[in-house]
This record gives sequence, structure tokens and C-alpha cells, in this order.
Amino acid sequence: MLEVRGITKAYGGVTALREASLRVRPGTVHALLGENGAGKSTLVKIIAGAERPDSGVVLLDGIAVSFASTAEAARSGVAVVSQELALFPDLDVLLNLFAAGPICRGPLLRRSAMAGRAAPVLAELGLEVGFRQLAGSLPLADRQRIEIARALLTSPRILILDEPTSAQEAAGTENLLNVVRVLRDRGVGVVFVSHILEEVLSLSDEVTILRDGAVVVAGAGRSSLTIPMVVAAMLGDRKLYAHPAADGRAVTRAVADAETARPPGTADPPEAGAPPEAAAARPRPAAFHDHGNFDALEPAETSVLMETAAAGPPGMRAAGDLRVEHVSVRRRLDDVSLTARPGEVVGLAGLAGAGQRALLDVVRGLSRPRRGTVRLPSGAVCPRRFRLAVAQGVALVTGDRRRFGLMLDKPVWENIGQVRSVALARDGIYIRRSVLQARARDQMERLGIRAAAGAPAGSLSGGNQQKAVFAKWLEAEPQMLVLDDPTRGVDVGAKAEMHRLIRSIAASGAVVLLCSTEADELASLCERVLVFYRGRITGELTAPGIDSRAVLEAINTGQVVHV
Amino acid sequence: MKTGPGRDLAREEPDSGLPWRSAATDLGRTAVRRLTDLESGSVIVATLVLVVVVGAFHPDFLAATQLTQVVQQAAFIGLLAVGTSFLLAMREIDLSIGSMFGLTLIIGAVAIHSGMNPWLAVPVCVLAGAGLGLVNALLVQGIKIPAIIATLGTLSLYSGLAEALANGQQITGLPIGNSFFVVLGGDELGLPTSIWVLLVVVGVLTAVLRLTPFGYRVRAIGSNPEAATFSGISIPRVRVQALVLMGALCGVAGVLGLAFYDSGDPSIGTGSELTAIAAAIIGGTPLIGGSATVLGAAVGAILLGVVSSALVFFNVPLNWSAFATGAVIILAVSMDSLLRQGRRRRQARQH
Repeated sequence: MLEVRGITKAYGGVTALREASLRVRPGTVHALLGENGAGKSTLVKIIAGAERPDSGVVLLDGIAVSFASTAEAARSGVAVVSQELALFPDLDVLLNLFAAGPICRGPLLRRSAMAGRAAPVLAELGLEVGFRQLAGSLPLADRQRIEIARALLTSPRILILDEPTSAQEAAGTENLLNVVRVLRDRGVGVVFVSHILEEVLSLSDEVTILRDGAVVVAGAGRSSLTIPMVVAAMLGDRKLYAHPAADGRAVTRAVADAETARPPGTADPPEAGAPPEAAAARPRPAAFHDHGNFDALEPAETSVLMETAAAGPPGMRAAGDLRVEHVSVRRRLDDVSLTARPGEVVGLAGLAGAGQRALLDVVRGLSRPRRGTVRLPSGAVCPRRFRLAVAQGVALVTGDRRRFGLMLDKPVWENIGQVRSVALARDGIYIRRSVLQARARDQMERLGIRAAAGAPAGSLSGGNQQKAVFAKWLEAEPQMLVLDDPTRGVDVGAKAEMHRLIRSIAASGAVVLLCSTEADELASLCERVLVFYRGRITGELTAPGIDSRAVLEAINTGQVVHV
Repeated sequence: MKTGPGRDLAREEPDSGLPWRSAATDLGRTAVRRLTDLESGSVIVATLVLVVVVGAFHPDFLAATQLTQVVQQAAFIGLLAVGTSFLLAMREIDLSIGSMFGLTLIIGAVAIHSGMNPWLAVPVCVLAGAGLGLVNALLVQGIKIPAIIATLGTLSLYSGLAEALANGQQITGLPIGNSFFVVLGGDELGLPTSIWVLLVVVGVLTAVLRLTPFGYRVRAIGSNPEAATFSGISIPRVRVQALVLMGALCGVAGVLGLAFYDSGDPSIGTGSELTAIAAAIIGGTPLIGGSATVLGAAVGAILLGVVSSALVFFNVPLNWSAFATGAVIILAVSMDSLLRQGRRRRQARQH
């Protein structure tokens, strides 16, 4: 039996775990639940010997243990399958399975002996791979199961599975859950960490829930809990973020409905050559939207935003809808359709691998759908490359700004001009530094980037860097903004500013898609949130009913409960 | 970026308050500082210092004809080096440049030998070079191998082709009285034509690098390839353009070499790729990509030319000349690295 008593662990000034306890009995499946950052992973790492607690003890069969490494933990019968895959991509499957302790005769490997031991375990997991295949050549789902097989080969008495099904398709998940049941029957204690609440609850005997590093539900019997109760316990009495524009919404809806109700033929986005008057005469949901949305802002700010909304990008075709029709991507998306209108922030919510990022990849031309069509706001159909999508007015702001967003060694002005003047060459074949610098300074002033235009982007704070990413895309006057976790790792103040900015961009008539790992962010920005679950859209939350609790519940169950 | 403001304050000029510093030395310091702040500054300073040092021992070296000859000899390598600085700026490298130089020269020689108007060798060589560069680019894109590997192959391929076209011999008997050989191989307005061409190419390519979307793209890719892709820049497309440009520059060097040497020697480009790459690096184009200096690459080639002529002046035995060249390369690069650190500190202080 594994018992954890009174574990406290702090990183720097942040307490990750506070007096946490856990008791895993042999022959049971114990679910360990909590939001991102609640302390689950820290607890798992401490049990496995990868981290040392500041105080508290880990007891194995009543004896206090303190593993120096995960290898030592494995020798004592505690095996961990971690969220981050730890395979050697250039070694074959067999050597990966026995990476910690290969079976040898003298200095030579005994492949046949290893294969003999591994075969039944792979069969049990339903994993059909050759031992000689390189681990790096396998799909993610198979690699994940190889990692699980590796843990099983140590014949553990305690098995900790951290998000083991996140990459699995339905069949793989079923296999894995069956294996867990078999292990339980053999008397193994299984700790199951997962975000897929339905799955966890269908399997587990006992449930422990962490919130902000403390245990809020300690080993409760499964039968005493329901999913809403679990979600409530995970979130606690934290303030729920509702959409700030509850009253502006009615107007938006009405306008949007009026648009969709236009007679057929006129409903299509205007063609490239359409007269500008027609475009200008189209109802602008943006303008109405503004009044409802921005009363919380300072007057000065509002006027800036209104100006942006009114001016509109010069020389560009009026934005139409984004239409995604019956799009399927192998292993990632299954018959997904959606329409996003200009002026609207549409949230795409789901667990990791549920398909929302796959859809982003399709609309920005990074992956090609096997079936179905995408029609961008510019009227272009399904871009085949990211570059073409950008030329068609698609902008991408990603949270991984250091990797995908900025040239850290280059001055801010060069980053801001990168899309418009460099990639799209919209200013012709002669780039004038002074013009770029002046434009960059305008954008920086508008977005409140507090830095010199000539400073290297890498010297800016995280929040200012992210604003610079926004600036570089706004400079290109996009018709559609694709946001992929746009406020990752920025502080609360900068986040609020960016949320305001996103609303103003939508208000100026752009189509905005928002993918976020933070339920709060989806709740505070979106009029609609589409719920992705195992590659499909399984529901839609609409404005007054969006709060972080509803989002979390929907992405975990795949179902939208109508209140 | 690692130098915080506090550290900068501590390094504030210790001698700024000294009373005996005159305005003249101040002015001199500013000029030197402005020069070292240039990306190509250190190589220019190093070249000037080297010329002065050699001249101090052998005043003959400072004669105008001698110096012109050194620069003229370096012009071919200089053309290869300026193209290489573009490639290095986007984290690519082309090892076949020496062979492309030799092959385009032979193609021109063979064509003239078989009766073509010599002036037509200009478009023929430049287009042939661009074509060879395109072959490199297609190999890189088609087989998806790094440029360094693809061009390692074409290094042999192209020089082998040159040997075969020339039948392993020098192509002689060209109509050297033709105005082509007189103008391109001789002097115009008091300087060898190849130096004029190098100056024009340096001017044009500096403008291309600093003022056009292509130049910005090249540097953006070298700075952060993923961010460049995610800004809508097509790395394959820019790579093809840069490799074709590189080939065309080799063609320019080839046609000038043909006019200068009056004959087609198939082994002429052998080994010059490493000299050209060294020149680009000495010139101040870092291997990590993201920035480049066209002027620096050309001056780097001149620096290496000065070194090899100086070795003759100092009667260094031929067996030691490769060693000496290597020593100079290491010296130049380490000096550049020191100056660069100083520059970075000053820039950090400005922000």
C-alpha cells in the first residue's frame, strides 16, 4: 500500500503542494484530479522520486521511503508513466522497452529473451508494432502505449498513469482501460491522473481532488460523486468569469440573424471585384457591438478602438464569414463544420488532442483536410500553405512567442514590419527603414508596448513581447485572427489589456477564432464556444451561458448541459 | 541583453573626466568607434593595420600598383564571399562555389574557343552559373537534404565536369586581342575592371540585403526560421533564390576570371570555396545566421589576399604559407569576437 502524508512543496515563493495526503490501496484504481497547476504533477513527481518534498513522508507498505530516482522507485515497485513522453526516438521499440535494464548475457544483449518477455505485454495493450521499428517513427498513440508497456514490464505494485489516454483513439483507450482493470484484479494499486472526467470516473474506485495544492476531496468513494460535484470541487468558490457584454449581445444576435436571413445569393461573401459600396453597405455588427462591449474601458481607449473599427483596413476586400464544411483530418478531425462571422469571437475548446488545434491547422494552411472545404473570409478556398493563408488575410498569434512569434535578436520595428513589408512585400521591393520604424512606433503606442522601437525584441517583458506579436499581425491588416493560447505566461494586467485588444479587433470586423487552455479566457472573450471532443464538435455554449465551470464541464464530458 | 543597467553603469568610461584628453583624440575615438560599430568595422580595421604593418617592413608593398594587384587578385574570391554572406545569413552554406567558378569559366572558354562572340560569354557564364545554382537548389528541395551535403556532392560533380569539358587541359588559343579580353581583363578608369565589378556588386547586394523584402527575408530566416515560416515567409522559396544568386555570382567571377587569365584552366576554382567562406566569416557574418555584411565579406577576401602577398614579401617558405593563412584567420576571428562583445555592451547601454 502507498501512503503519502502531509507533503508540502514550494518552488521559489510558490507553494505547489500544501499538506497533501493520498492513500492508494492495493487492488484499487485511485483517481487524482485537479485543474492545471493544482499540484497533481508535483505530487506524482514526489512519489516517483523525481522531486523531494519540503516536508511530509511517502510510505510504502508502512515503511517511509525516499527514492533518489525514478529508477530506484521502479525497483521498489512504483512505476510512473509520465505525461511528457520519455522515449528514445532513434532506438528501436525493444530497446526502448528495456531502456532501464536490458537483459544481457555478458556484454551482449539478448534480444530474444527481451522479446519473449515483452510480447505478452504488448498483446495485452493491443499494440501491434515490430520490435525493430524505431520509436520515433511511430504515431503518438503507439509511443504512449510503449511507455505504458515499459512501466508494466517492471511488474509494479503501484502504477501511476499521468494522462495516459490523452493521445489515444477510442480503441486504444478501451484497451488501456481494460489493462488497468486487469491490473486492479491482480492487486496492483493504480493512480490515474486524467482530464477526461467521464473516463476516470467510470474506472476509479476512489477519488482524490486537489485544488491550489491542497486536498479538497480525500479518497472519496466513486459512488458518492457526480461530474458536476467533481468540477465544483476542482474549481472551488473561485469567481466565475462571465462574458462582460451580456446586454450588447441581443443586438449582435439580431444583426447576425438578419445577415443570415438575407435571400440566397446575396448571402455569399462579396466577390473580389464587387463594388466597394456594396461592401460598405453591409451591416457591421462591429459598430453595434462596440457600445455594449466597451463601457468598461477608459473613454480615451474607447475612442481609439472606435476609430480602428470605423477606419477599416484600406485596400482590402470586406471580410466575409469563415466557413468550414464537413472537414476531416486523418486521426485528428472527424466531419467538423462551423461558420464564424466578422465581429465575432468564436472559442474552440477541448482537451489536448480533442481536435481544436487540428482545426486551427486547417484554417491556417498547415494541414490539409482529407475531406471537406474551408472558405476563408477573403473568399479564398482552403489554403494549401501557411504563406498563402497569410496572403489571404489570416493572422496567427501563438502563445509560444519565443519560438514562433518573434526574432528575439532583431529590433522591435523589424519584427512588427515582418508580415506586412517583408513576407507579403506589400510596400513594394524597397523597404524604407524610417517608414517601418514610424509605423512600428504607431502600433506600439496604440497597443501600449512600453519599449524603444530599436530595442531587441528579446529584451522586452513577456507581456510586451506578446503585444509585439499582435502588432506585427495588425500591421498586416488581417481579416481573420487565429489565436492559439494568446496570453500564455503573461501577467494579469497585460492579459486584461490583450483581452481588450482582441475585442477591439473583432469589433473592427475581423473573424476571430480563439483556442485557449484557460477556461476563464474563453468565458470572458467569446460569444460562442464550440466544444471539441475526440475530433468532433459535440456542442456549443452560447453567450450568457458561458462561464469557466460550464466550459470545463463541457470539454471534460463532451456534452453541453443546457441550463 | 544579459548586461543589465547596473553593470553598464559600472563600466562607464573610466577616463571620461581626464583633463589631458584633447578634442582631437575625442574625434579620433568617435571615428574609430563608429567604424567598429559597423558590422564590417573590425575587418576593415584589421586589413588597414595589416597593410600598414607590412608596409612598415616593406615600403614597396604600399605602392599603388602592388595594392591594386592584391585587390584585383582578391576580387574573384570576393565575389564568391559576398554571395556566401547571404547564405550564411540564412544558415545555409554552398560548398560548390569554387567549382561553379571554375565550371562557368570553362564553359565560357569552350564557347569562345568554338567561335562564339567573346562578349556573349558574359550572359552565357552568368546564366550558366545561375543554372548550376538552380541545380543545387533543386537537389536541396527535391531530395530534402541540407545544402552543405548537396553542394559537397556538386563540388565534385561540377569540377569533374569542368575537367571533362576541358579535356583535362588548359584551353588556350582564345582571341585575346578581342575587346572582351582587353576591357574585362584590363583596366578602366585607372582600376582593373574586376575591381569595378566587385564594387558595383557590393553596392547592389548591400542594397538588396538592407532595403528589399528578399534581404529582410534572408535575415529573418537566419534569425528564427520558425517565426519566419509563421509570418508567411516561404523558406524553400527564399533558399532557391539565394542559391541561384550564389550561382550567378560564381558566373560573374567566372567570366571575369576568363577575361583576366586569357585562358581556361579547369582547376582554377579548386579550393577557393573554403577561402571564400573564411572571407565571409572574417568579414563579420556570423555562422549562427540572422545578419550579414556584404562589404565585410569583400574586405575579408582582400584581407586574405593581403596575407598571401605579404607572405611572399616576408619570404615565408611556401610550405608554411597555409599555416600562416590559418593563423591569420584565427587571429581575425578572435579579434572580431572581442570587438563584437564590446559593441553588444554599448548597444545594451543605449536601451
